[in-house]
Amino acid sequence: MKIKAMTGNTTAAIAASLCRPDLIAAYPITPQSSVAEYLSELIHSGALASNYVTTESEHSVMSVIQGAACAGGRTFTATSGQGLALMYEPYFQMSTMRLPMVMAIVTREMISPCTVWSGQQDSMSVRDAGWMQVYVENNQEIMDMIIQGYMITEHEDVLIPINVCYDGFYLSHLVEGVDVPSQKEVDAFLPAVHFNHAILDPDNPMAVDSLTSGEVLTRYRRGHLEAMTKALDVIDEVDKKFAKAFGRSYGGAIEEYKTEDADIVLISIGGMTGTARDAVDMAREQGIKVGLIKLRFVRPFPVERIAKALKGKKAFAVVDRSVSFGWNAGPMYTEVRAALLGGNDKYSHFSAIGGLGGADISLKHMTSVIEKLESVKSKPGQHETLWLMKEF
Amino acid sequence: MSKKVHISPLANEGMYILDTASWRTERPVINKEKCIECGLCLTYCPVNAIIFDEDKYKITYNYCKGCGICAVECPKKAIDMTPEGGEK
Amino acid sequence: MNYIEKLRTSEDMVTPGMSACQGCCGELVLRRILQIAGKNTIVCVPPGCMSGAGVVGWDYQTGMKIPVHIPLLTNTASFLSGVSQMYQRKGRGDVNMIAVAGDGATADGGFQSLSGAAERNEKMLYVCYDNEGYMNTGFQRSSTTTKGSRTSTTPIGEAINGKQQPSKYVSLIMSMHALQYCATASPSHMQDMVAKIERGLSESKKGFAFIHVLAPCPTGWSFEPDQSIQIAKKAVASNMFPLWEKYNGNYYITVENKKPIPVKEFLQSMGKFKSLTDADIAQIQQEADTKYETLKKLASE
Repeated sequence: MKIKAMTGNTTAAIAASLCRPDLIAAYPITPQSSVAEYLSELIHSGALASNYVTTESEHSVMSVIQGAACAGGRTFTATSGQGLALMYEPYFQMSTMRLPMVMAIVTREMISPCTVWSGQQDSMSVRDAGWMQVYVENNQEIMDMIIQGYMITEHEDVLIPINVCYDGFYLSHLVEGVDVPSQKEVDAFLPAVHFNHAILDPDNPMAVDSLTSGEVLTRYRRGHLEAMTKALDVIDEVDKKFAKAFGRSYGGAIEEYKTEDADIVLISIGGMTGTARDAVDMAREQGIKVGLIKLRFVRPFPVERIAKALKGKKAFAVVDRSVSFGWNAGPMYTEVRAALLGGNDKYSHFSAIGGLGGADISLKHMTSVIEKLESVKSKPGQHETLWLMKEF
Repeated sequence: MSKKVHISPLANEGMYILDTASWRTERPVINKEKCIECGLCLTYCPVNAIIFDEDKYKITYNYCKGCGICAVECPKKAIDMTPEGGEK
Repeated sequence: MNYIEKLRTSEDMVTPGMSACQGCCGELVLRRILQIAGKNTIVCVPPGCMSGAGVVGWDYQTGMKIPVHIPLLTNTASFLSGVSQMYQRKGRGDVNMIAVAGDGATADGGFQSLSGAAERNEKMLYVCYDNEGYMNTGFQRSSTTTKGSRTSTTPIGEAINGKQQPSKYVSLIMSMHALQYCATASPSHMQDMVAKIERGLSESKKGFAFIHVLAPCPTGWSFEPDQSIQIAKKAVASNMFPLWEKYNGNYYITVENKKPIPVKEFLQSMGKFKSLTDADIAQIQQEADTKYETLKKLASE
């Protein structure tokens, strides 16, 4: 390993290249552009032997990648803001086809008013599009999470694509020292790409993504949600493996800092965490018993770990770099607050999901919700999700 | 319906086939006297209901929708559209 | 082997029972392309009549004997670029990469990705079956709809009479990309169409091949299902849909039209043009003449 001074964008490009993607597609957008440029340099110099497709838009970036993934390829791209918005159509299809990949989101505020600068509104706005999302604090973590990302996304229990989100300009253009693993070390850590659950292959013909009825679609959604839950364990497992191989651990889905004896807790996401750490340290010097939770994974959302970390605390605040229109608060604030309900609420409650893809929500389904409510009403807290669907 | 749940939406358990023969109100019938075995009917049939078997062109009725293109395109007018009797 | 022998001996790759309308030229074209291409093929059929008719499968049952995927309306050529590049990478450049898309997925929503893939000269055969509208969703106008057509979004009205704009000539636009092969074809001229599919397939191993096929639609255009081929013949004979190809940088008119029939004969053979005025017909005639003159000039150079 050697320490190199480089920007977040260069770090992302090098991290991706170390994972030996079969195909990279990219379209330049501020503040992501230098990722696309640096990857081009690696390809054109012969240092990286990936197929590289420079498309006419981000919509095609994700589409080309989807095609390559449907032929079993490991893929990479990066985007920002409006690029992500334009990509939304194939972006949603990528996750719901359960095709693994790593995509960096160099987070950017959404227009309007016209802006190209930092903010997490882009990635936060797509957090329910079926991808995993991890938010990182510094350039080292960009490097490490892109490498870990491939292990997580290609894990047979997961098979969900992942976004590694880092702050536009604050990290993308900031030069920091990064411990760059050697190709040999990454090769030893990361197995060769090996998924084949949805492949277009003349030797094994099938329809990939047939027209699907609501009842069958609901089963795919349930499977996707179950895989999200399993991913929480895989994230921890990969963090441990990575620590063993490279000596750095991030604590899995969240990282706690000085929370143990704290009575108030600050919660941060992404690059602001470094500043938050300093603020906590300064406050501690003044005798304020404050701790910090760095929210790393937003999808899957680490409900139980957050509830546990905040248990017995007197106050918490979440610093969001985006807004939730209508909640009139930050989106992670509303989600952290929701995560606490399961343990502290006086209500008995559960989620019921149905009516997907044209499936009917029948009177029988509604009655089943009432029956379950009746049976759990004296057991406060969260109960298992009720799927309003046919059992085949 | 299969008990198997795939990870990704995919279909590999046999062919999805519709009973398009039931649409037919008229069926094409080849007049063997007039047919010169040119094969144009086969090239124009949208459903591939016309086959070449033992040196003869034959119309199969499992999926023929009864569009009548073969009858119109036959250069010898050797195909007649005859009303279906209401049977399937 | 002549084209009739080829068609009668090649295996149909598509489900025998699909819900395309009686006399559908889209179905005819789809079956012909894939039976010529054979089993060593991956096909993408974006949203449109053909995918809606069941060829991309339903739940766990497939609609083809070959691997098939329904991409988005907007990304067929991009998606297939990714598949194609991975197959090249794996040393499997022998596999046919085919898109069979309607005019909406080609000339409208999908045009950007199509143009991008053609500009990159991606190795694939992209076939557009042009039925001049969004027939699967109920005959709405598209950019390839002929001027004066009655569609469900350009109805005949007192104030506005059918579609007001001439059609976008998508094949000529595509031919201006530095692509490998570009052609127009009509199911009425089956020998010509089969030859172009074969050439398109072989050229697709070297770069981007595009074929624009006219696909008369009995339901949307309002004519009897048995007239599909007759209508296609008239489209070619009247120069509404001239047959040509471009390869090695040169244009060739493949079916010379020495004595074209008046476009009126084509227009009057179906219901969608029934409210055209004489002035409309004269203008469509002029557009067809100009189109053919342009092609002749291109082909003579």
